[in-house]
Amino acid sequence: MLFLQEWILTLLIVLPLVGAVAVAIAGAGGRPLVPRSGENHDEPRGPRLGQMALAFSLATGVLTILAVALFFTATSETGQNLARAGGFALVQDLTWVADSETARRQIDFRYHLGVDGLSIWLVALTAFITPLSIWASFSGIRHRQREYYALMLLLEASVIGVFCARDLLLFYIFFEFTLIPLFFIIGIWGGPQKWAAAGKFFLYTFAGSMLTFAGVLYLAWQAARQGGVFTFDIDTLYRLQLTEREQFWLFLAFTAGFAIKVPLFPFHTWLPLAHTEAPTAGSVLLAGLLLKLGTYGFLRFNLPMLPAATQELAPLVAVLAIIGIIYGALVAWVQDDFKRLVAYSSVSHLGFCMLGMFALNQAGLTGSVLYMINHGLSTGALFLVIGMIYERYHTRQFDKLGGLARRMPWMAFFLVFFVLSSIALPGLNGFISEFLVLLGTFTSRNPLDGWPAGPLGAPYGVIAAVGIILSAVYMLAMVQRLLFGQLKEPEHTPDTSGGLRPDLTRREITILTPIALACLILGVYPKPVIDSIQPAAQQQVLAWVYAGDTDAAFAGAIAPRDAGAPARSAGPGAKEGGEDKDRLSRSTVGFSQSGFATCFSRWGEDQSPGFFPFSDFSRIPDSAVPEVTHR
Amino acid sequence: MMVPFGSTEAGMLNAAPLVPLLPLLGAALVGLLGTRMLKGASHWPVIIGIAGALVASFLILGAVASAQPGTPAGQPDTTYRLFSWFSPLEGLWFDVNFCIDALTAIMLVTVCGISLLVAIYSRDYMRVTETETPEGHEGGPSAAERLADPHVHGHQSGHHQPVPERGYERYFAFIGLFVFSMCTLVLAGNFLLLYLGWEAVGLCSYLLIGFYYQRPAAAAAAKKAFLVNRIGDFGFGLGILFLYLWLSPWAPDGRSPLDYDVAFATIHRLDTWQITTIALLLFCGAVGKSAQLPLYVWLPDAMEGPSPVSALIHAATMVTAGVYMVVRCGEIFVQAPVALAIVAAVGAVTALFAATIAVAQYDMKRILAYSTISQLGYMFLGVGVLAADSAIFHLFTHAFFKALLFLGAGSVMHALAGIIDLRQFGGLRRVLPVTYATFVIGALALAGFPLLSGFFSKDEIIHAAFAHHPVLGTIGLITAVLTAFYTFRMVFMAFAGPERIPAGTHPHESGRWMLVPLVLLAVGAVGAGYVGVHMKAGGFLGFIEPHGPFHRFLAPVVEPYAATLHARVGHEAAGAAHEGHVLMYISALLAIAGILVAYVLYVRRRDWAKQAREAFPVAYQVLHNKYYVDELNDAAIVRPLWDSSRVLFGVDRIVVDGLVWAVSAVPRVMGFLVRPLQNGALQSYGVSMTAGMAVIVLIVWLVSRT
Repeated sequence: MLFLQEWILTLLIVLPLVGAVAVAIAGAGGRPLVPRSGENHDEPRGPRLGQMALAFSLATGVLTILAVALFFTATSETGQNLARAGGFALVQDLTWVADSETARRQIDFRYHLGVDGLSIWLVALTAFITPLSIWASFSGIRHRQREYYALMLLLEASVIGVFCARDLLLFYIFFEFTLIPLFFIIGIWGGPQKWAAAGKFFLYTFAGSMLTFAGVLYLAWQAARQGGVFTFDIDTLYRLQLTEREQFWLFLAFTAGFAIKVPLFPFHTWLPLAHTEAPTAGSVLLAGLLLKLGTYGFLRFNLPMLPAATQELAPLVAVLAIIGIIYGALVAWVQDDFKRLVAYSSVSHLGFCMLGMFALNQAGLTGSVLYMINHGLSTGALFLVIGMIYERYHTRQFDKLGGLARRMPWMAFFLVFFVLSSIALPGLNGFISEFLVLLGTFTSRNPLDGWPAGPLGAPYGVIAAVGIILSAVYMLAMVQRLLFGQLKEPEHTPDTSGGLRPDLTRREITILTPIALACLILGVYPKPVIDSIQPAAQQQVLAWVYAGDTDAAFAGAIAPRDAGAPARSAGPGAKEGGEDKDRLSRSTVGFSQSGFATCFSRWGEDQSPGFFPFSDFSRIPDSAVPEVTHR
Repeated sequence: MMVPFGSTEAGMLNAAPLVPLLPLLGAALVGLLGTRMLKGASHWPVIIGIAGALVASFLILGAVASAQPGTPAGQPDTTYRLFSWFSPLEGLWFDVNFCIDALTAIMLVTVCGISLLVAIYSRDYMRVTETETPEGHEGGPSAAERLADPHVHGHQSGHHQPVPERGYERYFAFIGLFVFSMCTLVLAGNFLLLYLGWEAVGLCSYLLIGFYYQRPAAAAAAKKAFLVNRIGDFGFGLGILFLYLWLSPWAPDGRSPLDYDVAFATIHRLDTWQITTIALLLFCGAVGKSAQLPLYVWLPDAMEGPSPVSALIHAATMVTAGVYMVVRCGEIFVQAPVALAIVAAVGAVTALFAATIAVAQYDMKRILAYSTISQLGYMFLGVGVLAADSAIFHLFTHAFFKALLFLGAGSVMHALAGIIDLRQFGGLRRVLPVTYATFVIGALALAGFPLLSGFFSKDEIIHAAFAHHPVLGTIGLITAVLTAFYTFRMVFMAFAGPERIPAGTHPHESGRWMLVPLVLLAVGAVGAGYVGVHMKAGGFLGFIEPHGPFHRFLAPVVEPYAATLHARVGHEAAGAAHEGHVLMYISALLAIAGILVAYVLYVRRRDWAKQAREAFPVAYQVLHNKYYVDELNDAAIVRPLWDSSRVLFGVDRIVVDGLVWAVSAVPRVMGFLVRPLQNGALQSYGVSMTAGMAVIVLIVWLVSRT
């Protein structure tokens, strides 16, 4: 049991990897597993490789159920239930690269995995959506199946890796690695402009995350300066003492990568193209999972690591999020391509997600994490349904289709269901997260548990709530144009080759039903999920965001800079007094009083002379400079 | 206080969860098995489910009525907890809980009773004969539409047995879902569950208006209904959020400020402007759901749905949810006098406004729709002038006679193969005798004819309005005349005069499944008023005393309103306001006058009506075109928004994406600039190498010199 607890997350990553390799090998064997003439194969004889990939992803799903069960039963050394306490469980911590002999400064890159209430559900979402997407690809993917399914499994492994990583470098590696499979999935199996879409997607997000990487390196270097170890360990990095100026620039660096991924207005323009051109499963995974990497990054790094900058810049991020909500909705409304409509709806939805997060309170954060899951379910399902329409009609234009409810009653049922989930109908999943996000935004300024006021307030909530009306406007317009009215189909359609029939097949219904059930259950009884998200949001995020603002944290000791070990005790719950608390208090409290505008003017007043944070090099005694930066 | 379900304290009220669950179960059964197994018998699970819910509702009514004073059972400030729903903070859960009191019980009985009758009625209504003659008629569905769409109620005089029309299962599943949603709305013990019911009934309304989804008009009407309601719900949702924001500091530990009992007990701690804000935002939701100015526009279009749906959802139950909510939130509204004044004003203006439109319409169902808007206006007027019990009383009686009228119109439509335009038929009294008789009873009740239900309840509201402000009372009286006039204009056009039957139809009286509900509702339309009056010996109408058992039963719930009224005018005056029969005589006379005018214009002297139209062409056109509100909305809101969204999309592609492109162009341009250097010609490499070396030498020389 203990072995399993330690290794299960690794298994979750390795199993799809093994699957990818197995699919690649099986497909390459030269045996007629997938004949090249297989393009017109109908379902029963068809995708053996697909079945293989499906089996592997389903096995991952089963393991994930086990992981969730283990997570909920895991206890800390003191016998406390970790899920309820908001801690990390299923931890595996192996030293990977340790360079302790050649330098005074150790290099500490660890293979460190773990999940808390925030990430376990995202892992579960990944393991839930991926097999369904793979299964949904059976009829659509008719060529180069070997590569396709291998890449899908590769993607699953890397996304799970992102959510489990407890080491910043490991996170970054997984984070970047997700680009590769998706780049090929879009590029090879996408629509007419697939390579343009794939290239734009890759370069745009990659360019942003290069800046993030610079931030990662700077953090590790700061860790070396402050604690003596050149480390990427997230827990250690949380405890770094960063000046407001450093936080500001680090915030921008991290935001560069994450905001593009989310996508936060105005960094969203890669998304409509990539979503529209990607094959169905690509869109599903992109919308359902990959966008969450951005919000998850904000949640894991920007908020707890850079609390002063977060509090200061939250209104700005919230304004961008609100612009995204309304702008995305309005632009979605006027699309004549229904896949692009759903793509733009993601811009709007993710705006809610960001808004709730930057309300910086329990309701907002819980709502935001729940929103990630719910958006993954409902928008993922919408892309699935739209893909099913596309496979039959080979068009995504509104004006070519109409009245499909008559032809495809099952499809109509599911489309309407997921549209309702997406427009936050109470009783379905979307409502709870949207309501919590708005509630969090409204009550952001309500002080709680001795915390100071959060950054947002009712005006933000009121404007964002306009999105509630607008989401209904564009989604119901889509329903009306696609499903209602007289039946209108292009000639020679619906295309029923490949084992399809005009209405959804049994396979397709079986794919959509679990998602619909999940939406319903999360809407009616989300208690187990919220029960674990909330303490984690409290312990893993909010406690850090407000650590510098409460007396308890002021009293926390901050280890002397050259003590040789990472400062450990400034975190939540620390009680002892310390020497360096002045620095922390100055940076957080002073910063929040100074305001965003004065942030720029205050550079000169800061102790260090330069413009760019890295000019801090000048202050550092030579002995403190880690060797790794010179390599 | 909070009581968990299943406890003995709750007693008979433990039956409450059954009320929404049984119809839901029926709906689920139909939804799962309808198309494969149940088919034409799909009405049974839903009818049985609703019947069960009705029985449970009566049990609750009995339990509330017999509750001992001083015990928590049946009191408005008792909350019955089912389970935890979701949580904004550690240690605080929004529960799924119920509030069961007199108001709840009355609403449940009304909703389940009308639903049951409508479900029974629908069993025949949603059937068509296969031998229908698909022929286009002006105003009715065109021939092409009929071919594509089996919603044409053919006559049943042929030898063929009527068969369930396409979507029969879907219809009953939606009806069951609706009853579930409406009962949840009514039972809800907190604002979130109320919001759930609120949106869910809106969804059912959407699905049922769009039942004949192949008709573009129906699809558009469904979307319009949902969106206009969403605009109201936007305000409603904000009201809930502000309620939480401002009340959470006052809520007891572990209790959600959104529970009714907590919210109503703590609301007085807020400033008046806060209470007014909350009240007005909540009222926004009511304006949308109950189709008041300016958000009434969806209700007339909602008549695209099947007639029983119009009767159930768009007349008797769902649209009254707004009134229910405002009465339920009395504690909030009475502390915001400005908001109450706005409620009264909106109600009065809407009542008059909709009644004027109804005068110049020809579609029977649309006349009834405007009439519903107008009557809902009365109810809001009643609440606004602190006569909340009268408003609920009117809600109760209105449910009977308006459902009856809609079902009657449905019966006409069924007989005439979908034709409902009054200009195309007339004199149907002989062909449809039962429909005719029951319809007239409903019309009399609506018109406020003495001794019928509508008379008592409407009179109370007008009375209270006069006591409040003469202008409001006068508007109420004018509307009463108009109501009597347009109702009987419709009755006379449809049933009186020479028999006119559209070509190609063979009208026939409906079957028993449809007539029995009509008759039962007619009994209700006559008798429902008597639960709200006292009888005593006296002269003409003198034996009627308003404020009977109904009001006494409701008293604990409307206590805030009554207390405010007493505080304003003094206890004596408040009591006296209910007496004095002068107004009762006046409104009775006005009702009869309205009916007489309609009789003269539409039976005796039909040419006078035509002359009147021609004498005031502008006025007639404005009324007939419903004050051009739809056109105005389209030109002022929808089109500009659409156009600016198109512009935004252009901005997105050109400006926002253009910036990205510009950034990405930087490396591209740099590459373009230095690319010529890599031209592959050895000579140029040699030249640049030599030049570079020369530069280096120069620099070294310069540096070494200094």
